[in-house]
Amino acid sequence: MRRVSRDLLAGLGLSLLCGLVVRALWLGTLPAPVPPPTLAALSAGGPTQTPFPVPAASAARVASYDIVAKLDPKTHRVSARETIHFVNRSSVALRELWFHLYLNAFKNDRTLFLRSPFGAGRSGDKAREYGFVDVKKLSVVGGDGRDLWADRDRHSPDDPDDETDLRVPLPIALEPQATLELELEFEDQLPEIVERTGFAGSFHFLGQWFPKLARLEPNGEFSHFAFHAQSEFYADFGNYDVSLELPDAFRVGASGALVSETHDHGQQHLRYRVENVHDFAWTAWDAFQTRSEVIAGTRVTVLYPPHQQRNAEAELSSVRFALPHFNRLYGPYPYPTLTLVHPPDAAENAGGMEYPTLITTGGPWYSTFGGGHFIDVVTTHELGHQWFYGLLASNEHAAPFLDEGFNSYAEAESLEAQYGAGSVYRGLGLSVSSTALNRLFSAARGADETVGQGAADFASFRNLGALVYSRTAVILATLSGVYGRERVNHALGVYARKFRFEHPTANDFLGVMQAELGDDAQRQLALALFTRGSVDYLVRDISNAPVHSSAGVFDSPSGREHKKPDPPQGTAAYASRVVVYRHGSLEFPVAIQLRFEDGSEQRRNWDGHGATFKVDSTSPSKLVSVYVDPDERILLDDDRSNNWVTTQSPSSPRNLERGLHFAQVLLGALGP
Amino acid sequence: MTTRTPTSITTRLTTTTAASMLLWMSRTVLGLLVVYPLLAALQASGMLNGPEGESVLFRPGSVLLLELLRVGAPALTVAAKLSLLLLAGALVMELVPLALALDLLWVQGDSFGARVARSLGFFGRFLKLGGVALLTQAALLLASSLLSGALKAALGKGDERWLGLAQNGVMLLGLLGCVYFGAVLDMARAAVVQRDLTAKDGLYRALSCLRARPLAVFFGMYPSLAGSALAYLAALWFTARLDLSGASHLALAWAFGANQAAALFAIAWRVRWLGRALELSAEG
Repeated sequence: MRRVSRDLLAGLGLSLLCGLVVRALWLGTLPAPVPPPTLAALSAGGPTQTPFPVPAASAARVASYDIVAKLDPKTHRVSARETIHFVNRSSVALRELWFHLYLNAFKNDRTLFLRSPFGAGRSGDKAREYGFVDVKKLSVVGGDGRDLWADRDRHSPDDPDDETDLRVPLPIALEPQATLELELEFEDQLPEIVERTGFAGSFHFLGQWFPKLARLEPNGEFSHFAFHAQSEFYADFGNYDVSLELPDAFRVGASGALVSETHDHGQQHLRYRVENVHDFAWTAWDAFQTRSEVIAGTRVTVLYPPHQQRNAEAELSSVRFALPHFNRLYGPYPYPTLTLVHPPDAAENAGGMEYPTLITTGGPWYSTFGGGHFIDVVTTHELGHQWFYGLLASNEHAAPFLDEGFNSYAEAESLEAQYGAGSVYRGLGLSVSSTALNRLFSAARGADETVGQGAADFASFRNLGALVYSRTAVILATLSGVYGRERVNHALGVYARKFRFEHPTANDFLGVMQAELGDDAQRQLALALFTRGSVDYLVRDISNAPVHSSAGVFDSPSGREHKKPDPPQGTAAYASRVVVYRHGSLEFPVAIQLRFEDGSEQRRNWDGHGATFKVDSTSPSKLVSVYVDPDERILLDDDRSNNWVTTQSPSSPRNLERGLHFAQVLLGALGP
Repeated sequence: MTTRTPTSITTRLTTTTAASMLLWMSRTVLGLLVVYPLLAALQASGMLNGPEGESVLFRPGSVLLLELLRVGAPALTVAAKLSLLLLAGALVMELVPLALALDLLWVQGDSFGARVARSLGFFGRFLKLGGVALLTQAALLLASSLLSGALKAALGKGDERWLGLAQNGVMLLGLLGCVYFGAVLDMARAAVVQRDLTAKDGLYRALSCLRARPLAVFFGMYPSLAGSALAYLAALWFTARLDLSGASHLALAWAFGANQAAALFAIAWRVRWLGRALELSAEG
């Protein structure tokens, strides 16, 4: 028995030590993050930086909404009354309106959103319980009370199975600058969460939940489109005044600021207001926990599931860094509130989404353990959307790279400023950056399709993800490598300020880049975005030859002389040549590193023009290796495994060491 | 067969060291064999052919490590499958040095050739015992996995953290069962070596030992497990603090030293337990 006790004590002591090591590994004694090296620009050319323009203080309001809604959490139904204040800011008289009823995307399995047999949307999930919006009545305030909804088209254009994009004729033309007030009554039946919207148990998330006008373009046409599973949204700016009624037990998060709150008969009445936005979303759950603090002058509130304080703290920590960072880069966040919603695990498809002044994050309760920054990634990404989507309200359906792509660059830039090279993961002697991940996805599918196309035009959501999110970020990261990170960030800052509260297009962006970085940068951007432009630098053979003094038979007035070659010597003993090739249509300047047998190094720069570049050099010793783009600036380079050549045989002691250790651990764990 | 345990401390220390070194060497050789296809695929990928060799793979940010996974994925997948096959073979091959280690711990003063011959004779019986253990452990894991799934279905709407912990707890119990059965397996092997029993009789003897002294079996293995885990975790902690991104051979030497020390330390704990298993088996 004494022996058993001794074994038990020894085991407990060793287990305690194990616990301490695990704690040290997981909980924050990891080395401090290493900031990425600041690379001087390869090309110093281009115009000088312009000062930041002063961003607009408010938007030109086109469609504002007053909504009074009541949620029945048992039936997951919302009954609501909506008043739309619409101004015709186009140059022509309007004879029709286009409404988006995107909740109808989940009405049945024949809708445009759900009809694909391969699963729908970003989550790839099909609906389990369907949802829809029924408009009961639409009338003009102060009019004859006629129900305009009766005259609507019954389905989306050319799509009899879809009711997400409906036209309503106006009884009389609405002249330019004229206003119109419309009143609607509608009822939502929420689906079980398919993608962002719906319910999971008593958790409710309401995005795209009310009948909403399509964006009115200056030429009088509405940019209307049925809800496609790969697409996001596009709408006009306005003010929102939303009153919600639901049981007292529920905690609510919503776009905008809570301006009044009353309680009676077990029901709460909450009123939210927000100005200069183009959407309104809200959530309600009886299990939400909350935390709130002021960050950079903004009241930030996190709603999260029980026992997820660590996730909530990680989310706040991300905002503490990223909000001031984005304020500095892209102009100050103009709203007084920001709400972060961390949905429960059962509603994970509601996570990772952006709405004006409200974002959803996500991740299991153990997300913050280990060396991963997954909570930071999703929080920083969705926060970045407050600029690239919220304030720069580009058409996400027609040009998704304008928000998702630029925002992926902004996310990576911010995370790398915060965490250095381990911005996605740091641990176990390994660091993985956001840029490296973006490059991985971009290189895998970079040549499949054009980046600058409509969301619904992509062959798959995987392609959209790789090209719109990752490749756009890699294109901008490559520009940073070539022109300098500061200059590219400044150019994005100019773009973000100049077009704040507007609906910028790709041409607006290219114009700013041309003005800030020059014609060449604009040309490469356009090629990369709209023509499947690509680049691959590669290097093949190394040639070395000894440099002799003149040798042979030489005739001169003094007679014939036979010269023998002297052995190579001095600083020019060897002539070396290597040829660097460029495949693809993109042309970026690139550095070439030469290393000689005696250990000396030389650097050459190639402007990237032309298909080949001969690098000739003379040196006291032979050229033994060449490395094209040794600083990893041209991240768009399709294949980096052909960027080098060496005459020396490679060895891999680190791989051998790591491989052997891993095999030993496996044999120990599984072995007899 | 001579059946007596080494009694003096010096003899005990010598035989324990010899057994540990034997297992460490066999594990190192077999480890090299297992990892060889992956190393060959890495070399063939071209990613190591640059002037900086393999150190590009360890650069901060891992741009080129991920590039290797992308460009070399087909070759690496084939190599990984081959390595898995070799791993299975290595696990079977390790039965011979294990039998030799038990023989070293139990039998005194015999020639190496005789020990090897005996160990080869145990191979078939060890293989049968291993098969029984594998099936039992697979059944335990399957049962805990099913139970974990049932828990999720039953408590799906509850608190996520408690649900996650409960599911992991059930899986941990399954793993613990596997480990416990591993201890029984070692007792059976000890009995086979001690008394030249058949696999079946060895297992019966181990089970009767288990019935007689369940705590001694369970806690006898506990320090070995905790010690091995500590060794590997400490090495992980240490090597995570080394800068292996550059070309420093010193850092590499430290990493190699730490990892091999951990492997040796873990094996020494295992040998300690094997000695204990022999004693328990002898005591009946």
